[in-house]
Amino acid sequence: MTRRVLLYGAMLVIVVVSLFPFFWMVVTSLKPDQDIFTKTPEFLPTSPILDRYVHLFDGAVPRQFLNSVLVAGATTLITGVIALLAGYALARYKIPLKRYLLIVILSIQMLPQTVLVIPLFVVLRNTGLLGTYQGLILSHLALTVGLATYMLRSFYLDIPVELEESAMVDGASRMKAVRLVVFPLVWPGLAASSIYGFITSWNELMFSATYMQQSDRETLPVALQQYFSSYYSDWGGVMAASVIFTIPVVVFFLLVQKRLMQGMVAGAVKG
Amino acid sequence: MTVTAPAKREAGAPRRARPPRRPRFRRLAGYGLPSLLIAPLLAVVVGVVGYPIVRTVWLSFHEGENLISGPFNGLDNYTALFADPYFVSALIRTTVFAIVCVACTLLISLTVALVLDAGSWMAKIVTVIVLLPWAMPRVASGIVWKWIFNDQYGIANWLLVSLGFDRFQGFAWFNSGFTSLVAITIAVVWHSVPFIAISMLAGLRSTRGEVLEAARVDGAGFMQSLLRIRLPMMKPLLTILGVMSTIFAYQSFDHFLVMTTPPGGPSHSTEVLSLLTWLQAFTVLDQGAAAAMAVVTFVLLAAITAVYVRLSKEDR
Repeated sequence: MTRRVLLYGAMLVIVVVSLFPFFWMVVTSLKPDQDIFTKTPEFLPTSPILDRYVHLFDGAVPRQFLNSVLVAGATTLITGVIALLAGYALARYKIPLKRYLLIVILSIQMLPQTVLVIPLFVVLRNTGLLGTYQGLILSHLALTVGLATYMLRSFYLDIPVELEESAMVDGASRMKAVRLVVFPLVWPGLAASSIYGFITSWNELMFSATYMQQSDRETLPVALQQYFSSYYSDWGGVMAASVIFTIPVVVFFLLVQKRLMQGMVAGAVKG
Repeated sequence: MTVTAPAKREAGAPRRARPPRRPRFRRLAGYGLPSLLIAPLLAVVVGVVGYPIVRTVWLSFHEGENLISGPFNGLDNYTALFADPYFVSALIRTTVFAIVCVACTLLISLTVALVLDAGSWMAKIVTVIVLLPWAMPRVASGIVWKWIFNDQYGIANWLLVSLGFDRFQGFAWFNSGFTSLVAITIAVVWHSVPFIAISMLAGLRSTRGEVLEAARVDGAGFMQSLLRIRLPMMKPLLTILGVMSTIFAYQSFDHFLVMTTPPGGPSHSTEVLSLLTWLQAFTVLDQGAAAAMAVVTFVLLAAITAVYVRLSKEDR
């Protein structure tokens, strides 16, 4: 009995600590200023206002939101295609130096971003891609393809080869066997690596802040960071912007969290 | 297509003729198709990861004021770096920060994983909730935690004062390096626990089975079976998670940029490697020195990764 009570107590603490920052962010964004700046915190907004959101949507936020959607969307799509193809090859074929290639793609995520940021800046400047969506997308691919490929490979490995073989024995070409038999089974893996790519790109700050200096191409993390450093006493406004920034990833995450964690844990455990 | 498929089956490959083992499958593969399939991956790995690494190493041996590559200057960048007290203290600070972060992350994650593993109808929902902080953008979580640690209106100070710690009345966390780092550590740990905890949960679940059952029958208590059986069984996983969180802690950038004003302040007391490197490159505009810092970080992390590969191999 005591064990049960302890257990539920611990779960309660975990839930509160996990959720409180989300809750506090939303509540603060809804409170009028005089309720935000109080000695004793007011945990629920007594007279909630939406003014800040209206104000943000009149400003540059829709544009920045669109920029982020564009960059994260394209990064996700390209990462997905690359990982889908390479993951299959790495799961099914004998490829020279495969072991080393796997170690390399797995250790890419261990790379300090600072190693990449300077030369990529130079490359993008020299090719005229600095400040363009393509340039930022390219730099984000460096962060996403490694783990995404590794994740998809482990999903492919879980599909028995016999399925493809029997489809081929039944007369399907290899392409057809893959398309009709393997892809339907591997799509949860694709979903997982896509979400991973989306979240990575959506949240990425260092590359975005360095390469996207013009204000009309700014993505949300850059805009939020700059807004915060110049108006950081406007806590309500900053919180509202943070909420807008957070909602898409959290929604996306909740939709596919099960698959995602399966994939990420596989990457960690099997790696 | 629909016409040819059944015809082929009759003619060439009756089902019973299928060889029982896999080798035949391999025979179908020349190197043509697979190399086509991994070509895009290789292009990215070589172009956007490999080349920059080589280029950074090259830059670190050259002058690079105003982000323009200058003449070769040997090890000057490196000797200047290790003579620079700001860099050396940032190196030490990052290391200490990483160790503290990892220790807290692993301990908290293990506790969370054990609670979730103990099982109950609630555990499933709680697992999803535990994961949520991982999805929150780091910039947003940095801002929220900075608000929580606000001196006048922050909820952290209110809570501490309510618990009887009167000295936290209006306590300014971000006025000194040490207390800033405490706040940042809490924010970073909050962000990194979810992933580690869920991986540990998967590990704990895999230790359930006959061995654990046998120990229970023999009268081993909860702590005893945890310390003597389950954790040792999870050693490879724990090694990997430890190294992963060490590396992520070393790379923390977003929280520092958002939570300290000016970045790395007050008066350089919260500068860490990633932030210092970035500022050196894009504010001081000295890419030679910045490249040297990046290389030092890279070598350090590569050493940690090598240890990790080594350890996980030994356990196989």
